[in-house]
Order: sequence, then structure tokens, then C-alpha cells
Amino acid sequence: MNDMRILERDVDANAIKIAAKGVQVYYGDTHAIKDVDVDIQDKTVTAFIGPSGCGKSTFLRCLNRMNDTIDVARVEGDIRIDGEDIYDKAVDPVQLRAKVGMVFQKPNPFPKSIFDNVAYGPRIHGLAKNKSDLDDIVERALRRAAIWNEVKDRLAAPGTGLSGGQQQRLCIARAVATEPEVLLMDEPCSALDPIATAQVEELIDELRQNYSVVIVTHSMQQAARVSQKTAFFHLGNLVEYGETGQIFTNPEDPRTESYITGRIG
Amino acid sequence: MALSLTGYVVLAVLVLTIAAFFAAKSKAKSTANGDVRLLHSLPNYYGYNAAMFTAVPALGIMLIWLLAQPMMIENSVFKLIPERIVEEGSSRGLVMSDVRRVAEGLDIAVAQGAITDTEADNIRSEARDIRALLGEVGVALGSDVEPEVLFAAQEYRTLSSVGAFWMAVVVLGVAFIGAAVSIVVSKADFRARNTVERGALALLILAASLAIMTTVGIVLSMLFESINFFRLHSWTDFFFGGSWAPNFRGDSDLSILPLLWGTLYISVIALLVAVPIGLFAAIYLSEYAGPKVRSAAKPLLEILAGIPTIVYGLFALLTVGPALVSIFGRGDQGLLGVEWMSGATAVLTAGLVMGIMLIPFVSSLSDDIINAVPQAMRDGSFGLGATQSETIRQVVLPAALPGIVGAVLLAASRAIGETMIVVLGAGAIAKFSLNPLEAMTTITTRIVSQLTGDTDFASPETLVAFALGLTLFVLTLGLNVLALYIVRKYREQYE
Ligand SMILES: Nc1ncnc2c1ncn2[C@@H]1O[C@H](COP(=O)(O)OP(=O)(O)OP(=O)(O)O)[C@@H](O)[C@H]1O
Ligand SMILES: [Mg+2]
Repeated sequence: MNDMRILERDVDANAIKIAAKGVQVYYGDTHAIKDVDVDIQDKTVTAFIGPSGCGKSTFLRCLNRMNDTIDVARVEGDIRIDGEDIYDKAVDPVQLRAKVGMVFQKPNPFPKSIFDNVAYGPRIHGLAKNKSDLDDIVERALRRAAIWNEVKDRLAAPGTGLSGGQQQRLCIARAVATEPEVLLMDEPCSALDPIATAQVEELIDELRQNYSVVIVTHSMQQAARVSQKTAFFHLGNLVEYGETGQIFTNPEDPRTESYITGRIG
Repeated sequence: MALSLTGYVVLAVLVLTIAAFFAAKSKAKSTANGDVRLLHSLPNYYGYNAAMFTAVPALGIMLIWLLAQPMMIENSVFKLIPERIVEEGSSRGLVMSDVRRVAEGLDIAVAQGAITDTEADNIRSEARDIRALLGEVGVALGSDVEPEVLFAAQEYRTLSSVGAFWMAVVVLGVAFIGAAVSIVVSKADFRARNTVERGALALLILAASLAIMTTVGIVLSMLFESINFFRLHSWTDFFFGGSWAPNFRGDSDLSILPLLWGTLYISVIALLVAVPIGLFAAIYLSEYAGPKVRSAAKPLLEILAGIPTIVYGLFALLTVGPALVSIFGRGDQGLLGVEWMSGATAVLTAGLVMGIMLIPFVSSLSDDIINAVPQAMRDGSFGLGATQSETIRQVVLPAALPGIVGAVLLAASRAIGETMIVVLGAGAIAKFSLNPLEAMTTITTRIVSQLTGDTDFASPETLVAFALGLTLFVLTLGLNVLALYIVRKYREQYE
């Protein structure tokens, strides 16, 4: 793994952006997340890895309260963003989600034009002062998501008419257009070719300058390339969490080692 | 006697069918030397195949025979009746029904033992009072039986029994041949399963085409009557005339336009009531209501849809109409102190009640459509920090819009075709007016009124009902086709 070199980036003691303690998630009777403690740092890319069904998406959805939309889901424990308990009654989940953006595992463009898809968030939150401002926001978001060149001539075409990988990048553009402080990305490159993947990884690295990014991925190489911190989930437990270089070169837990070397998963 | 012979034939065919089933099954097994795995199909399929080839052609021929035989017999018997009787008895149909009745009477008399079979064939009206004879066995005749009619009836009986005999022969023969052939071919490599499959397919196609054929039949009968109408009345008056004034002494104004105006006016009011309320109810139920509320409210709304429309009509006439009159009418005693509305029947009365009737229709269709919008779409919107109502307005409803438009069009076509509410609630005056507090009439109410009471199916005043019905049919059919097209197009979007 040559990529390991990249990890030698300095991860200074950044401020803690998200602090989760004793998080439990139940889907009806299924216990999907078991007592997870994790501190996610600001201006850092954190990767969640683990075998399918281990609860990565579930945990990610706790961080912006998307589990509220699932009737059977129940979240316990304490999750703080910038020291504020996001499950507190006083917190408005709508406000929270504007701050904590999300790219979903399955691309879900709205049945609207490409432009309107990206402009959706800025319009709702009044981020654009006028039409040309909005045009700029949309163009910048599409450029950052590495899809501008493909769609610049068909901004009025429906977003649902794009290919799977294009839809995925459109959803990334849609999420970054809202300028969230934290960006949660659930397998954002699962349908992308290597070139687009590299561009999205570049975007993630760029976002790190100002935001904190959490990315779920099934690609060890990707986790190693883009992240500074890595969390390994297994059967709903957080098995190991630490510096990415540490996890990939010298894991403490035998389960982590067998997963990254390809023996479980 | 013919009937019971038919019964025996059916019974025999069924017995033969069962026998063929088991014979083919065991024949197939024996050709495979008892090893079922060597057969192309499971043994039962050989049985089904044989049963199918025994029963279906035989019973099919029987059915056609039973339909065709009376017509052919009537044709040949009719030649025996001289012109004289037809002229007196007014029409061929009436005389023939006399003949059939006498023939039936003779059958019954024979069955009860009042006369013997040969007597029935040779009896002469000069020799015996046939009317009294048949009266004794319970067949009352309107007049004395003419010798020619009696002779025709006897011929009718003879031909019927000959026909029935040959039918039995042919049907049993076909059944035997079918059974024999299908048993003979039941060898190990015969593809019985595929033939049975084709049989099942044919059955399904038959059912589907029967449904379509009846629709076509209905349309055609309407069409023929409408053509009769247009022979008697000018089509320009019907489609472009300005007034509706049927006059049973003839020379009526029969224009559809005033009726169409009333129909559309009432429908528009109904939709103005039903669409917002139904849609909002659907949004509440599908997006906001908890599972408990939903499980209670949905069935309740659907019960509304099951109320017979005549009940809504009564509601319009007895409750809504008078309530509206007390608001907009009665001069100084009224709520508003105005005299705008004189009777309970009015466009507004019918429109409001029809709107109430359509609410559950709109809401349950829209509810299904809104639920079909994938959750991922909502998640995407929530994930960007949108509120629930923003999500509904900007994502869910636009996504569901084509389907909702389809639902509204379906509701419109129901409103246009609705009858009982407008019969009771709308009034009977055909006119062009914009005032919703006046009584007006619709296409459906006029169809009802043109066909009730003493009707003469040769006058344009009656036949116009068919032309009205056909126009209504074309109108609602067009709306339904459009609605289904839109709904289907929308479905594809997510599949
Ligand atoms: N909406 C739901 N209702 C019930 N159970 C759910 C729901 N979503 C997830 N689960 C269960 O929770 C567990 C964790 O699911 P989750 O989607 O978080 O897995 P994941 O780690 O993201 O897997 P993958 O890598 O395949 O996306 C699984 O066992 C799954 O069956
Ligand atoms: Mg997942």
C-alpha cells in the first residue's frame, strides 16, 4: 500500500466538532448501534469502515438526526456538536441539518432540473442575494463536485435523467451548495469511475480546510488516501478508532486487522 | 324434452371427460413404464389435456348449436305461416311468439300426460279446443289457436326434437373423438404441459375479450340508437343549437349545449370543493398523521366513498339546499337578508354535495400517489435542512403532480357522469346562466327524464337520450384515457 505515505500529514490537536457518547440505536427490537463513543475533530476527514450491515450508515444518520424520519428507529445516548446536545428538545433538527449536510448512500436527485436540484438548499436557506449570485453558487458547487463540464449545457434537464455516477456527483454538489459545517458522505464514490473518484477525493481534501467531513467507504485505499482518522465498526460496535495511519499499519484489535487485510467483510 | 336431453348430453360429456382424464393419465404412465421422470410432463397434465380436448370442443359446439338452432327453426317454420295471419297479428315477432308458446304448451301437456306425444303431433284445432286444452295444463293463451299457428307449432316441436337428437349425436361424437385422440397421443414425449398452458391462456383471453366485447356492444347499441336519432333530428341542432325544449307533440329543440353547460358548471364547483379538501386530507394522512390516526382515518374516508349517491342526493335536497336557501334566500328572514335563491335545487347545492362525494375519491387516489414518491426523495430534502412543508411543497408534490392531475381528471369524469345527486339537487331547467344559485340541469338528469314515463322509442324526444348518453360516454372516456395516460407516465418515473 503505497498510499500510506499520504497519511503522514499532520493532524494537530484540532478542536472536537462532534462528541458522541454511549450512543445506542434500535430499529424496533434490532440493536443496530451498541454503545458507541467517538470524538470527531474539526477540519478533519474521518472515515467509517466496516463490513456491510455493521451500522455505519445508521451511525452517520444519527449525526444529523436523519433517523428521526424512520418510525421504528430509536436513538439513545449523547451526541454534541460544538458542545450542544443535538437531541435536546430545544434543538431544531431542520436547523441542524442545514449545518450538518449529508450525501446519501443511494443517489436521490429530486425530479427537478439539474440547476434546481443544486439551487434547492441555497434557495431554502436564502443563501443567494440575487439570480446571478445563485447561478454562481450552483456553478461553483457543480465544479467542486467534478460534474460541471458534463452538465453545463443541460442545466435545465431533469436530474433524474443523469447516469448513476453523475447523479451521485449531483447529490454531492447539492450538499456542498448549502455550505454545511459538517459533511456526512455515505459511500459517495460507490458508482464513480477512478477519475471522478479522484476528483471527489480532491473535493473532500479541499473541504477539510474549513469543514469536518465524515465519509463511509468500503474502499480501504480510499479511507487511507483521504482520511486522517478512521473508525472501524463491526456488528454495531465501534471496534477501533484512531489515526488512519495507525489503524492501517498497526491496528490494535485483531478484528480490525483481519478486516483491513480482507479476512472479514 | 329438448332440455332434459341437453342435460343428459352435458352429463355424458362430463362423465367422458373424467374418464378421459384418468385414461390419459394412466396411458401416459404406462408408456413410461411407470417411471414418472421419463414423462415430458407430470402425469396429471396428460389428464388435464385429455379432459380439455374432450370437454371444450364438445361443449363449445353444443353452446353454438343451442344458440343457432332456435333461429334456424324459426326461419323454416315462419314460411308455414300465411301472410294473412301476420297482417292480422301485426308483426312477425308476435306471431312467432304465439307459435313458440303453443309449442311449449304442447310440450307441457305431453309431460303432464294430458295428451300423448303422437296426439300432440297430429292434433287438429278443428277437432279439439287447443286453447282450453292448454289452459288446463296452465298455459294461458290470449286468443283461439289458428290452424296454421297450431301446424307451425307442431312443426316447431318436430324440428326441435330432431335438432336436439342431432345435437346429441354430434356433441357426443366430438367428445368421443377428442377423448380418443388425446388418449392415443398421451405418450411419454407428448408435451402435455405446454398444451395445458395454451388452454389456460385461451381461457384468460376469452375472459378478457368478453369484457371488452360487452363494452363494445354497449357502445354499438348506443351508436345505433343515436344514428336513429340523427335520422329524425338534425345534428346541427343537437350539437350547436341553443336551447333544450323537448315537446312530445314533436318539433322540439334538443340541443346538448345548455345541458353540457349545466354539467360542466356543477362539475367545476364539485372539483373546487373536492380537490383542495381531498388533496390536503391526503397530504395530512400520508405525511403528517401517525400510524394510529392513519389507520383510523383512511377507512373512515373510504366509507364516505361507499355511500350510495342517492343518499347524497337526499342530503342535497333536504339539508344542503334548504340551508343554502336560508343563507341566500327568503328575503328579510334569510341570513343575509337577500332574495337571490328561491328553491333548494341549484347549481351550488348539487356542486357542493357532489364535491363532498368526491373528497374521498380524490384523497385516496392522491394518498396512494403521494405514498409512491420514494422516501429517499424526502430524505434528500430533509438532509438539506428543509422543513416538512417545504419538502412537501417543493419535492413531494411536484414529484406527485402528474399523478394528482390524473386523479383530478378521474374525479372530473365521475362528476360529469354523476346522476342521482343532480337529479335531486340541481333542478330541471336547461339554460345558460352564470348564477350558481339558480336551478340548472345536466346531461344525466335529462337522460333520466327522457326515458321515464311513457316513452315511444321512435320519437326523437326519446332517442335523444342515447345521443346524450353517447356524448357523455365519449366525454368521460376521453377524460379517463387522458388521466390514465398521465398516471401511467408518472408511474414509470420511479420504476
Ligand atoms: N430502516 C431500517 N429498519 C430496520 N432495520 C434497519 C434499517 N436500516 C438499517 N437497519 C439495520 O441496521 C443494521 C445496520 O444497517 P446500516 O444501514 O447502518 O449498515 P451499513 O453499515 O451502512 O451497511 P452497508 O455498508 O451495506 O451500507 C443492519 O442490520 C440493518 O438491517
Ligand atoms: Mg450503509
